[in-house]
Amino acid sequence: MSRKKLVVILALIAVVGLALEPGETEFEHNGWFRYTNQSTAFKVAEPSVSRLSLERGYIRLSHQWAPSFFTKMTVDIFSSDKYPEGATVRLKEAYADLAAPFLRDFNITAGLQKHYFGLIYSWDYTHPEKELADEQGICGSADYGVTLNGFLPAGLGELQFGVYNGEGYKYAGKYVNTSPELLGNLRITSLPGITLGASIFTNSADISHYKNDRKGRVTEGGNIYFMNADTANINRLAYAPMFKLAFGPFSLLGEYLGYSYTRRFSYYQINRDTLGNIVDSTLVVKKKDYRMNGVDLVPVVTLPGRTVEIFGRFSIWDRREQSGDSMMLNRDKSFIRYGTGFNYHFVRREKGKPGLEFQFAWTRTQPKNSALQPTDVLLAQVRFEWSALVPKPQM
Amino acid sequence: MKKLFTVATLISTMLFGAEIIVKGSDTMLNLTQRLAEAFSAVRPDVTVSITGGGSGVGINAIINREVDIANASRKIKSKEISSARSNGVNPVEIVIALDGLSVIVNGKNPVSQLTVEQIGAIYRGEITNWNQLGGPNKKIVLYGRQPNSGTFVFFREEVVKGEYSPAMRQMNGNAQIVEGVKADEGGIGYVGLGYIKGIEGIKPVAVARKAGEAYVAPTDEAKVRSGAYPLTRPLYQYTNGRPKGIVRDFILFELGPQGQKIVEEEGFVPVTQNYSERNNQILQQ
Repeated sequence: MSRKKLVVILALIAVVGLALEPGETEFEHNGWFRYTNQSTAFKVAEPSVSRLSLERGYIRLSHQWAPSFFTKMTVDIFSSDKYPEGATVRLKEAYADLAAPFLRDFNITAGLQKHYFGLIYSWDYTHPEKELADEQGICGSADYGVTLNGFLPAGLGELQFGVYNGEGYKYAGKYVNTSPELLGNLRITSLPGITLGASIFTNSADISHYKNDRKGRVTEGGNIYFMNADTANINRLAYAPMFKLAFGPFSLLGEYLGYSYTRRFSYYQINRDTLGNIVDSTLVVKKKDYRMNGVDLVPVVTLPGRTVEIFGRFSIWDRREQSGDSMMLNRDKSFIRYGTGFNYHFVRREKGKPGLEFQFAWTRTQPKNSALQPTDVLLAQVRFEWSALVPKPQM
Repeated sequence: MKKLFTVATLISTMLFGAEIIVKGSDTMLNLTQRLAEAFSAVRPDVTVSITGGGSGVGINAIINREVDIANASRKIKSKEISSARSNGVNPVEIVIALDGLSVIVNGKNPVSQLTVEQIGAIYRGEITNWNQLGGPNKKIVLYGRQPNSGTFVFFREEVVKGEYSPAMRQMNGNAQIVEGVKADEGGIGYVGLGYIKGIEGIKPVAVARKAGEAYVAPTDEAKVRSGAYPLTRPLYQYTNGRPKGIVRDFILFELGPQGQKIVEEEGFVPVTQNYSERNNQILQQ
């Protein structure tokens, strides 16, 4: 089934169906209006990026059909001069959620849904930026899939198993349905305030043509090669043990990320005789391994009254690429990042009520290539959320 | 250092008073307000602020550290315990009273007893006319609560055992259900025991677990207390960890002779020996 058809069907389930049955419906709107100032060596007055944007504009429609059946659709509207179009709309979520038969506290969710991996599972945007795995593109923040989600007895924790499309939700056409992915998430909170867990996903091998780093006729060292299209990432494996500590006003969220994949590429080498005539060709297949590791830590102090949160952020990202027999560190793409910031809640969001928050964050990213300058980002945003509950009609 | 902190807390309490914030179950709202008023008489230095909103709202508030006590007419769910624990909150459960959830009909309705299965079939929309139950030829009009209510959840799980009929009118509180059924000869509703006491124009029906078993009225306190009434349920309060300080004082007051007398006056049933022993274990220092 093509992606377009799937989107249309899910949208029909979520929207047209609303007119068919009475039930509780919630309309929700989240808006993130952001100013970003990016510079090197903290030259705020000479930014390389100075931008106002509507970073996110979620419009959600949820409908509770019955205690065991729920549907949700989210459209993301965003506007910034970093996009050539200026403003864009994309479908972010469209799923149906059904209580799992014979499994208390478990649901089956199908459709376009959030791709929970690592801290994404626990990410509530206390820090206004993305979680590291999401930011580094280990997985798409949303994807098509079917997941089983549930809670362990006596509040011991959470469990999720899923099959996702694997490409995220931004790809379309020939780039989808190429690498189904198996995913598992586990969170255990045996003692209040101490959560331990892990996430893991893996892709099946994929031989489809995907990206085209080099293709066509290439001449190197007097030899002529005809490059084939590069293939997609294959044999992807990502894992992320995590923890969350929460005691009184203090909390610390952390994870270790491990991610590896292989890219396969091939070409035809043209063989010539001593007179320079083409005699035959040889298919050469090569692989290149990539391995990435990361650490993400977010300490938070919530002041009494829960109006102000002060947070920190510390991340490490190492990207290694195969070069001969060794995995060399790509210093240009590896970094250490640290920073701090605060959130001020004018109104804390409660279900059905509006919330308004001001967020400020500073982060410095220092590439592991010492010849490169650190990048400072100052970010200030107003985040507002509100929703309206449409009451069930009186019969 | 610890002593200094204790002295500072005492001085602060003496100067500014102290507050206990309670939120949650609509069924328990009137009861808790009465308990708070009586508590304030013996502890004028303590203010108890109480709001309703439903059991789900109360439990959500304790998960987010917004209140000291959550009132709930249903048991906390695994999902909620999990969320609370990952937030560093340890929900601890106290039972302050028992309720015989009462199924009420209009006072003019001759039907006076029903089985749990019949009530379930009514609320699932399978029985739609009172003449199917030996009553008049009159359409049954369903009155119930909204989904964030603990009573809504308890009734769905214990009686409806399926999905509510879409025709059910979702009312905002017990009092609205009582008013609805009072004004509607075809009406049927379910409310906490405390909401039927002394109200004219409605009557609680006697309930049997199944056909052939004895019908029991929710007003029969002994049967509610013993659990012989099929829709007996505990009324809970949840705190973050074992109650301490003024919160513990308030709960001890609720469970003491004066508090339990108010429980009876408000139409509910005092806690039984079993629950009392369990409460004591939690409240021991």
